[in-house]
Amino acid sequence: MTVPNMFQQAIQGITTWARVNSPWVIHFNSGSCNGCDIEILATLTPHYDIERFGIKLKGSPRHADVLICTGPVTRQARERLLRIYEQMPEPKFVVAVGSCGISGGTFAGCYNIVGHIDEVLPVDAYIPGCPPRPEAIIDGIVKLLTHIQSGAPHPRSLLHATRTEPRQEIKA
Amino acid sequence: MTALVALLFFPAGLSLILGGMFYEWADRKLVARFQSRVGPRWFQPLADAIKLLSKEEIEPLGVNRLLFWGLPVLALAGALTAGLYVPVFGLPPVHSFAGDLIVVLYLLSLLTLCIGLAGWNAESRFSIVGATRTLTQLFAYEAPFMLALLGPAMAAGSWQIGEIVAYTEQHWMIVLQPIGFFIAIIGLMGKLELPPFDAPEAETEIVAGALTEYSGRGLALFHLGKSVELVVGLSLVTAFYLGGLGNPILFLLKTLGLLFIMSIMQAVLTRLRIDQTVGVWWRMGALLALLQILALVYVAAR
Amino acid sequence: MTTETLLQEAGRILAPFTQSSAAPESNRLDVVIAADSLTGATAALQAEGWGYLSAITGLDAGPEAGFMEAMYHFCNRAAVASLRVRLPRDGQPEIATIADQIPVASFYERELSEMLGVHVIGTPDPSHLFLPDDWPDGVFPNRKDFNLEQAAPVQREAPPVPEQGRVGNKFIVPIGPQHPALKEPGHFEFAVDGEIITGARMRLGYVHRGIEKATEQRSWVQNLYLLERICGICSHTHTSAYAQGVEKLAQVEVPPRALAIRALVAELERIHSHLLWLGVAAHEAGFDTLFMASWRDRETVMNLLEGLTGNRVNYSISVLGGVKQDVGPEQVRSIHKSVGFLEERIRYYLNVVSTDTLFLQRTRGIGAMTAEAAIRYGALGPTARASSIPRDVRIDAPYGAYAHFPVSLTLDSRGDLEAKFAVRLKELLVSCFTIRAIVDNLPPGELSVRFPRRVPAGETVSRVEAPRGEAFYFIKSAGGETPERIKIRTPSLCNWTSALNEAIGHQLADIPMLIAGMDPCFSCNDRLITIRRGDTAHTYTWQQMRAWREVRP
Repeated sequence: MTVPNMFQQAIQGITTWARVNSPWVIHFNSGSCNGCDIEILATLTPHYDIERFGIKLKGSPRHADVLICTGPVTRQARERLLRIYEQMPEPKFVVAVGSCGISGGTFAGCYNIVGHIDEVLPVDAYIPGCPPRPEAIIDGIVKLLTHIQSGAPHPRSLLHATRTEPRQEIKA
Repeated sequence: MTALVALLFFPAGLSLILGGMFYEWADRKLVARFQSRVGPRWFQPLADAIKLLSKEEIEPLGVNRLLFWGLPVLALAGALTAGLYVPVFGLPPVHSFAGDLIVVLYLLSLLTLCIGLAGWNAESRFSIVGATRTLTQLFAYEAPFMLALLGPAMAAGSWQIGEIVAYTEQHWMIVLQPIGFFIAIIGLMGKLELPPFDAPEAETEIVAGALTEYSGRGLALFHLGKSVELVVGLSLVTAFYLGGLGNPILFLLKTLGLLFIMSIMQAVLTRLRIDQTVGVWWRMGALLALLQILALVYVAAR
Repeated sequence: MTTETLLQEAGRILAPFTQSSAAPESNRLDVVIAADSLTGATAALQAEGWGYLSAITGLDAGPEAGFMEAMYHFCNRAAVASLRVRLPRDGQPEIATIADQIPVASFYERELSEMLGVHVIGTPDPSHLFLPDDWPDGVFPNRKDFNLEQAAPVQREAPPVPEQGRVGNKFIVPIGPQHPALKEPGHFEFAVDGEIITGARMRLGYVHRGIEKATEQRSWVQNLYLLERICGICSHTHTSAYAQGVEKLAQVEVPPRALAIRALVAELERIHSHLLWLGVAAHEAGFDTLFMASWRDRETVMNLLEGLTGNRVNYSISVLGGVKQDVGPEQVRSIHKSVGFLEERIRYYLNVVSTDTLFLQRTRGIGAMTAEAAIRYGALGPTARASSIPRDVRIDAPYGAYAHFPVSLTLDSRGDLEAKFAVRLKELLVSCFTIRAIVDNLPPGELSVRFPRRVPAGETVSRVEAPRGEAFYFIKSAGGETPERIKIRTPSLCNWTSALNEAIGHQLADIPMLIAGMDPCFSCNDRLITIRRGDTAHTYTWQQMRAWREVRP
């Protein structure tokens, strides 16, 4: 192995380590009932304290690495959800929290619902539950991080092959 | 060669940045403990910084490119340069000349100024409100903070940090000028925009204030600048008020003690509105500091 | 005054306008009036100070019947007087606005016009379209002949996006829909002059899902679980209001033990909701330690709820005809222990919010609302009680087990944020007392009774005191397996008018606290309200999107 190559690998290792240990999240509710949102908020509080893992809730999409979405996507919130996603700098990840975010849940088929989150955004991790417990949310995020650490391909890239329609629309 | 090492690694440069990270971690950890949480791990600020540095940086439309890229660098450089004249880690300052105290005070304000300009440059509404608040706050705390550091300088009869520190080593200024000490700590918190003086970056009102639009490197540099300023500021206040330099380990403990007090205040106080901040500073801070200076002048004149 | 005398008085006031009247239930009076005498009738009620407008229900009788009805529900203690106005279904159904008399009605009128296509003449915001911008014209989701194919998105020309967030010398600061102060999406635009707010606008609809329509397609039992998910914070409120109404329609007698358990869970939910609110409000004020502490203690009540029902958030303890889970002696012991702990903590928080000097600087005198303003804006729940308006359904119209376990009223006359903190925390002490009373005197007996699959035809009104105020349900059955119409009006909607009016003249820094002060719940609101956004359906290039700054008209 050449020296520059080793150097590159070391840099890669360090950045991955940093990424895994410092995911800053931003939270968006695109039509959820609040249940998931309060459980996400609860992860910040003393019983669960997500800051132990270096996870911080940020207000500005520019500062965030992980977008946590809850709820089915309503027609009104869809564009905003896309915009927040596009405002985030690469590399970025999307986590769908709750049954509604994953499948539309109890609201599937309602007239103002576009669909579940991965019909709008490429989702990297799904956390099921109605709502998932704070422990489950932490577990889901940790699983996403372990996935990043293992160096496996970006989960999103697997989805891109099958679904291109919404992405094209925004990149037009 | 020695100068280069001093500049890049020790005592300025890298060691200041790492030191700043350590203090930032200690601060976050202490606040978390006061809120009965576990708090971040020891390497957290390091991971945050590396992650931010390795992230994509998005340049918003319509910004002045030179300012957008230059301001974070200038901010960090200013804070680092200030470190050269201040006895950080309890070591005598690298450079010293008559009147360097004034230079340090200006260098420390450079960071705030850069943040304000950066917010104005980004043109997002949250940034502009944040920038306005940052600069308003600058005008509020700057005078009292300066007056608070003036006290020891007047007592020592010098504007040179080295000489003042030599004087304070013999005299514990916290006993002689308790008001100045109190104002200096609060001033430092205002400078670093720590709660309760965090109106310029109040998350629930204006997202992240002036830095809302910064991502990646720019954000990292501003964060590092703040950490460095934390070290420099703590060192300055400790050296001036808590018995000079002395033993480096003792010095470190003193600065940590100061940080402890600051963390308690962060944890127990509610954020002040910007008008309340200004009111507190001018009605209380400046007045008290001025009274102390007058008392000093009176004592000196007798 | 008893409910009968109240209703008699309403009948007397409305007599000049009445075409016909009926008393479908002992606490209700239905008065049919002509469309052109509506403003006169509401003015007469207002002049006599009879009750407050609680909701406007729009009913579509279907294409065969060929007419629609608008029902204006006025509540006065336990009495509910409804003005029924019959409107033609075809052509342009029209009705005059009453928003000039009752400001909060403007929200209900917008809902009516959007969902049923009733043109409201003179409503303050005529440019509205409630549904998303890409919603087609002439399609009304709450009409019986609505189907989803009609609602296909329509491309509309987007207005140009201005380069700067300035309007003249004023600066527009948007809050939401994604904003750290709001854990749910709502959109506010505040015009600021320096730091002072000079104007406020609100847009909702980001979490509008269309639940009311969805209830008509689901069975009576399925709806219980759908309605529970209107709101994750006060889920039990919705299930109990719904179950209570449907049980009344089906004439099912719910066992007293089940009613007591429902009230028990409701009071525990109130504790969880108010502690959550305390934390969020403290966070808005930049007092994170109080946020952390109150949420830490909230876990105690979450554990209790989980122990009782098996779930932390959507408890789903109510079933039609009773409850699912019993409360055993072991749970009674743990309730006593936890409630004792919580009571002590609540007293401590009450002390903090009423003595901490810096915190008081952010709450005392901020957003003070007089009793007159609270009545005019139609405030409900703790928001109203902080302005000394005695409105609490648990006391005015004791439902379920509250007839046996009375609660006392908490009032404060100051009307500012400090009063809102005090009222909510004192209410929790009352809740603790009620919880103890319930678990100590749990009536013996069955947990649930058999519930029929079909509910007899009829209409009913069900009101429940949610943590945020009165929740109003109007349920109509046509005798089938699914409801004919369910109308839900949640308390947050009534409180918006007051919050936005309070905001003007305050500092930008106070806004998150003012919004938090009324404890808004967007999910609750948005089940039906959506308000137009000016600039959807705009295609951005990828680069434009990346570089997008928060610049909106």
